[in-house]
Amino acid sequence: MTTRRLSTTPTRTAVIAALSGAALLLAACGGGSGSGSGGSSKTRGASITVALASDPPPASTLAAFTKQTGIKVKWVNIDWDSLQTKISAAATAKTYFADATDVDWSRVGQLQKLGWFYPMEDYVNTASLKSDMPQLASFTVNGHVVGIPYDASYMVTTVNKKMFGQAGIKTMPTTINQYTSDLKQLQAKGIAKHPLNIPFAAAEGLSTYWYETTNAFGGGVLDSNDKPLFSTPGSPGYKAAQWMVSAMRSGLVPPGNINVTDSQGESTLMAKGLVASTFSDYSGLVGALYNDKSQSTVAGDVVYLPTPGVNGTAANLSNPDGIGIPKQAKYPKAAAEFIKWFTSANTQEQFSGLQGAGKAWSAFTLASHLSAVQKLATSGGLAGGQQLAQLLKTSKPVFPHGAPIWYPKFSNAVYTNLHAAATGSLSVDQAIKAISNAAKSLSSGS
Amino acid sequence: MQRRRRLDPLPYLLVAPVAIFIVGLALVPAVFTIVQSFYTVDELDPPTRLSGFHNFIQLWHNSSVLTSAANTGFYVLVGVALSTVLGIGMAVTLQRSFRGRSVVIAILILPWALPGVVEGILWTGIFDPNVGLLNNLVATLHLGSGNAVLLGHNRLLTITLIELVQVWQITPLSALLILAALQLIPGELYEAAEIDGAGPWRSFASVTLPLARAGIAVAVVQAVIATLNVFDQPYVLNGAALTGSSVTEQTYFISFQNLNFGQGYALSLLITVVTLVISLGVVRFIYKKVEL
Repeated sequence: MTTRRLSTTPTRTAVIAALSGAALLLAACGGGSGSGSGGSSKTRGASITVALASDPPPASTLAAFTKQTGIKVKWVNIDWDSLQTKISAAATAKTYFADATDVDWSRVGQLQKLGWFYPMEDYVNTASLKSDMPQLASFTVNGHVVGIPYDASYMVTTVNKKMFGQAGIKTMPTTINQYTSDLKQLQAKGIAKHPLNIPFAAAEGLSTYWYETTNAFGGGVLDSNDKPLFSTPGSPGYKAAQWMVSAMRSGLVPPGNINVTDSQGESTLMAKGLVASTFSDYSGLVGALYNDKSQSTVAGDVVYLPTPGVNGTAANLSNPDGIGIPKQAKYPKAAAEFIKWFTSANTQEQFSGLQGAGKAWSAFTLASHLSAVQKLATSGGLAGGQQLAQLLKTSKPVFPHGAPIWYPKFSNAVYTNLHAAATGSLSVDQAIKAISNAAKSLSSGS
Repeated sequence: MQRRRRLDPLPYLLVAPVAIFIVGLALVPAVFTIVQSFYTVDELDPPTRLSGFHNFIQLWHNSSVLTSAANTGFYVLVGVALSTVLGIGMAVTLQRSFRGRSVVIAILILPWALPGVVEGILWTGIFDPNVGLLNNLVATLHLGSGNAVLLGHNRLLTITLIELVQVWQITPLSALLILAALQLIPGELYEAAEIDGAGPWRSFASVTLPLARAGIAVAVVQAVIATLNVFDQPYVLNGAALTGSSVTEQTYFISFQNLNFGQGYALSLLITVVTLVISLGVVRFIYKKVEL
């Protein structure tokens, strides 16, 4: 019996090895679909991936969308931080990962400059949305809409009315001085050892808290040229930082808040009645968290308060979540159809529970359509609904000219320095100087 | 005339896919990182261009990177020392068989099997100054007020606690690696030492430690790699605050938050070089092949 051996010359071996090597290297390093490949214009029969940082909406609503459009939806839930990393990594590598994904308000300037997302005005009649969607402005830079807001998150003050009442406070404060004095009264009467929640952990929540407080003190953070407006001691931003740090040092804020993030503060302090107020809280939380007996011990006690300002109530700053189409999307047109449906007033009414519990989406906080919020408020299905609808009308973007492209670096400077001031390792003056220098250096392009 | 031996290609063909896979997934990205670290690769400042040592100089002038490097130095020193000493202690305890030994080993390995983020969240609950387990315990036992701020205020305390959490995670692997080395030591050597009058300490110092050097070296190297690259624990327990941030956290911020990939590559390269140098030093001074 003769055994046939694989007879291959060294040259052929080298060729085979080189070819398989090249194939594997391509598989390992490639995968990119080019910059803005255009994707397919197919809608019916397309299967799109939607990546957002939340559980999917009820299956019945997604099934109804598929039935109506013929587009199948694969929902991917990725935590917010990982999702932002994924968006950057995929866009840099020019690789597909989703057809529709999160557009955070704070990254709008950066994303527009980078051109990582399709302009939504090419797919959706964004002009017609403006009047019913006040927060669309937060997603518009240089006339381009990077994403469509799907919730109407904005910052708002919350107070535990019961605790305020126990301290003998019958009239809710409308100015920041009155608010501070009421908090001291709560403390003095022993109602709360530390009545105010400020999340001082070095994270994004601290930055947004400072923006809202700066707004309450009557000013903005950056001017139209992105130069700092908070450098001098008399400026609202400086006073806001002073107020926040002084609240920490004087004991109005629990000492442990030095490492508490916004969501931890809401769930472990405010929802447990350990603090009486959060100056910069998130809209929708009274219904979604504080009135939920499975997560809260203060159900029915927490109400929204028009944010106290210098001479009366101040406007509220918005920080909504949006959804857009990455340039590497396989089915941009189908993704646009999904976004139209997902952000429509009718779908948001379903998600809010206005069309039956079966279509309500537990992860949904507040509709981005004013009309939907008003309907919800009228139906009584939204805690503090009338007030929320009113506040939504006057909510405004943190950066009226659009978030600067270097926002993440700026925010990092804000939260690390304010955190350091709260720990005492920096004075307020030093912290503000450091933030101001960072803003000046970033806006000058160095 | 001697006939030239024909090269058999089969072994090369069989090995080729794995070799190419390693080259593609490890060496190519490594070379890419080295090359790109000398370029300005900034998504917000295109185009990509050669910039020599600019990225490295920028890192040197970045106070956040320098503070994080100091924190990381502390993590390496404390983490490697503690995990090695505790690992040796655990391995020696588990060296001899006893009832329930396999159960103890299974329990021992649990912290190592848990993802770092999960551990960070778990320990956040333990250290929390408002509702944390540790503070509650202190208050219950009347040992203090029970609202001590453990993380964030004091830098030394913060990095110590963060590193203790990491030691809790990496020690089981050190213990298992050292235990594997201890299992190879013949019992006769201990008997001979006992006959020669050696007590338990002398046996440990003269038999156990020298013969377990290979295992200890591997355990130290894995501890060096883990501590130099620590990310989950400081990020979850202390956020981005400089009181506890590590160099790997800075790599993440520079690359994915600031989108300055060139500087991110440069910092990654520096971390890799430091890891390599320390690991080679450990192997050079601790590792010794033992012929039994």
